[in-house]
Amino acid sequence: MRRLINRKPGRAAALGLGLLPFVLVVIAYLFGSHTRLQDNPADKLLPPPAVMVDAIERLALEPSKRSGQRLLWADTAASLQRLGLGVGLSAVLGLVFGVAIGVVPHIRATLGHFLVVLSMIPPLAVLPILFIVFGLGELSKVVLIVIGVAPFIMRDLAARVAELPRELMIKGQTLGASTWQIITRVVLPQLWPRLIHSVRLMLGPAWLFLIAAEAIAATDGLGYRIFLVRRYLAMDVILPYVAWITLLAFLFDWLLQKWARRAFPWAEPAP
Amino acid sequence: MKSFEVRNLWKEYGDQVVLERVHLALAGNEFVTIVGASGCGKTTFLKMLMGDEVPTRGELLLDGEPLPTEPGPDRGVVFQRYSVFPHLTALENVMLGLELRQAPLAGRLFGAARTAVREQAAQGLAAVGLQAALDKYPAQLSGGMQQRLAIAQAVIMRPRILLLDEPFGALDPGIRSDMHGLILDLWRQGDMGVFMITHDLHEGFELGTRLLVFDKVRDDPQAPEAYGATITFDIPLQRRPPPDVMEAVRRATAPAGAPS
Amino acid sequence: MLRQANRILTAAVLCAALSLLGVTQAQAADKQQFRIAWSIYVGWMPWGYAKDSGIVDKWADKYDIGIDVVQINDYIESINQYTAGAFDGCTMTNMDALTIPAAGGVDSTALIVGDFSDGNDAILLKDREKLTQIKGLPVNLVELSVSHYLLARGLASVGLSERDIQVVNTSDADIVGAYQSPDVQAVVTWNPQKNEILKQPDTYNVFDSADIPGEIIDLLVVNTETLKANPALGKALTGAWYETMAIMAEDSERGRAARAAMARAAGTDAVGYQAQLETTRMFYEPAAAAAFARAPKLGETMDYVRGFSFEHGLLGEGAPSPDVIGIALADGRVLGDAGNLKLRFDAAYMQMAADGEL
Repeated sequence: MRRLINRKPGRAAALGLGLLPFVLVVIAYLFGSHTRLQDNPADKLLPPPAVMVDAIERLALEPSKRSGQRLLWADTAASLQRLGLGVGLSAVLGLVFGVAIGVVPHIRATLGHFLVVLSMIPPLAVLPILFIVFGLGELSKVVLIVIGVAPFIMRDLAARVAELPRELMIKGQTLGASTWQIITRVVLPQLWPRLIHSVRLMLGPAWLFLIAAEAIAATDGLGYRIFLVRRYLAMDVILPYVAWITLLAFLFDWLLQKWARRAFPWAEPAP
Repeated sequence: MKSFEVRNLWKEYGDQVVLERVHLALAGNEFVTIVGASGCGKTTFLKMLMGDEVPTRGELLLDGEPLPTEPGPDRGVVFQRYSVFPHLTALENVMLGLELRQAPLAGRLFGAARTAVREQAAQGLAAVGLQAALDKYPAQLSGGMQQRLAIAQAVIMRPRILLLDEPFGALDPGIRSDMHGLILDLWRQGDMGVFMITHDLHEGFELGTRLLVFDKVRDDPQAPEAYGATITFDIPLQRRPPPDVMEAVRRATAPAGAPS
Repeated sequence: MLRQANRILTAAVLCAALSLLGVTQAQAADKQQFRIAWSIYVGWMPWGYAKDSGIVDKWADKYDIGIDVVQINDYIESINQYTAGAFDGCTMTNMDALTIPAAGGVDSTALIVGDFSDGNDAILLKDREKLTQIKGLPVNLVELSVSHYLLARGLASVGLSERDIQVVNTSDADIVGAYQSPDVQAVVTWNPQKNEILKQPDTYNVFDSADIPGEIIDLLVVNTETLKANPALGKALTGAWYETMAIMAEDSERGRAARAAMARAAGTDAVGYQAQLETTRMFYEPAAAAAFARAPKLGETMDYVRGFSFEHGLLGEGAPSPDVIGIALADGRVLGDAGNLKLRFDAAYMQMAADGEL
């Protein structure tokens, strides 16, 4: 008998094992839903799949009575715009400050510790301040994401710059590079894949802050809808929305990974 | 390089003296090989030449002028590792220095200027035998090819001094002798001096026109950091030194306590 | 291998199912332990006092049952938990009782009418003194809550409709902070947030629940099936409540101490709590509560409430009309589908308390 650590599943078995937890969750859900519906046909906690399909159709295909919009798409567009702005702005700030702190010793001495402290502030705890400073509209939602995400990207990239071999910095200078040229041709290009990696890691927190911001004050968005219909326990809406958010998050992660592989072949080990 | 002079060079870190009373004078382009036991200060010496470290006392004069205290295009460098940029192809690595010189703001060239630089870089790569690897990234090259690339990248800037920090230390012996031929050819063709650190004594004797041995002449067992190393042998070389000289150098460079 | 997998699968499904069954179990009829959820609100603070002072236990012992009174920090979560079956009863407003448990198929009975809001809920405007000036403004409130209902009633009273304003869903926990922002010109909220916001300069109360008296009602709702199978639960809860009411209404050392304890638990002081009580019409007397429940006005109110709920999709998106859910009133009338009674107002237990039969 070989050791457990040396026994590997075959291709088909690996696929089956990978699917197993998903299948189990679905079965457990259907079972629980069925049981509860027998007690109470109008149960809202675990609605049957047909009810959720109805809800998706209604939200995705039919214009809403109140606003005339197709809610799922309107919510998705609103949320993705906030997420995109927040994460995009965080990436730009992360890059600018990360590089400046990593490359220029005087800036590092000035901002290094401040940044560490800044990144430790729980963004949700300063919400009232955000409201007063940035208002209650789109800006404060984007700012919440930026405050939650940007300091970590800055720190990650600054650390990454510091990890670049000292040899490369000297080599760049012996090729006549100025500070500006070192940044634009030596440091920045090597940071792109790391930035994508950093953004991938921070997408989870970014969603969290987005949904928190939408739960607190909004007129549309995925998080808004979930917290609104929670008001009457419409799990037939909440569960598909959660699945949709999960799918979107997974998709973005996957796309970023693909993009990084394609755009930065040098960052991969030789085939 | 017409002349190079080191005048009473000291390097201290706090109480620790690394180098003391280093004197050296070269006239014309020499191929200087540097040997010495680990921790004898030869890497510190090279770092001061490249401007990565500043001397505590003393002067470094290149053609009568003090060396700048930061790295610059007058001094090329090849390290044992991390000498080339992983995000650039072989061709882009060699083009980089030329582009930086001509485009201070953008850092890159376009159109005809780019074509000219590209042509020059391709020739430089051909000179080190990498004509078939122009569009490969460093990660796709072998260790020997990476060092050829690093040398081509440094030499194309026409530096007055080329600094080599154990450039072949990680290579297989067979490849190493190819590299020896290559570096000697480039040195003879270019108007430059070479300083090369090596652990391999044979390499030092074979390549150099002058061999420097760094070692401590004074040693206080109670305070091992009180005295620094200096140049203990400064040997002008023909191609083959007498056996007794080789033996004396071997003793001096062996780690303390090891049988010689 | 396959059989082994089958066994594991079965076990996993059973585990998941059991945990879900555990939730439904709470609704089973023949047990003697009951769980009641309540959340912090001026009219429900007596529940905390009744529990801490042993009044609940005393009445539960009298009827030989056990009652666990649990405070839930999130109001909506407490109703959702009740609707999911984790509690046998819960404090909520008349509107939420209709739109959450009743619309969710959980047949619920309003056992105790504790109070109605008499100014606790209000529309507040910044720099504007009249409700008509709300036109065109964004209005921050907890969407689909009683605030939303109050806003709809207020707008109708001056000939406006929801189309004339823009509703911005805003969490009740953050609404005081949100009001500091210059973006926010109009809010609808309840106490204690309402009193907190009114302390700001140039803030005007332009419409409040005193303008629609008796329409926002604070109830103790219990599961109808559980109540039918266990009248003792209804008796014990009602008995405990009116004993607490009697103490609370006393102008004595004991009454002051009780009110002070409630004030502390609500996170305010005696003065602040008294200010909230002034805009809350408490039914200290069971007879008054029973009479309120039986009055025809309640039918009128519930008709407004179900109309609002229907228009906002709260009775289910597929609901064809407000009649889909039957509401049984305490005077015997029925609103909507009598074959689908899900919300019942029952004055019987309050009447027993009034008659001294508990």
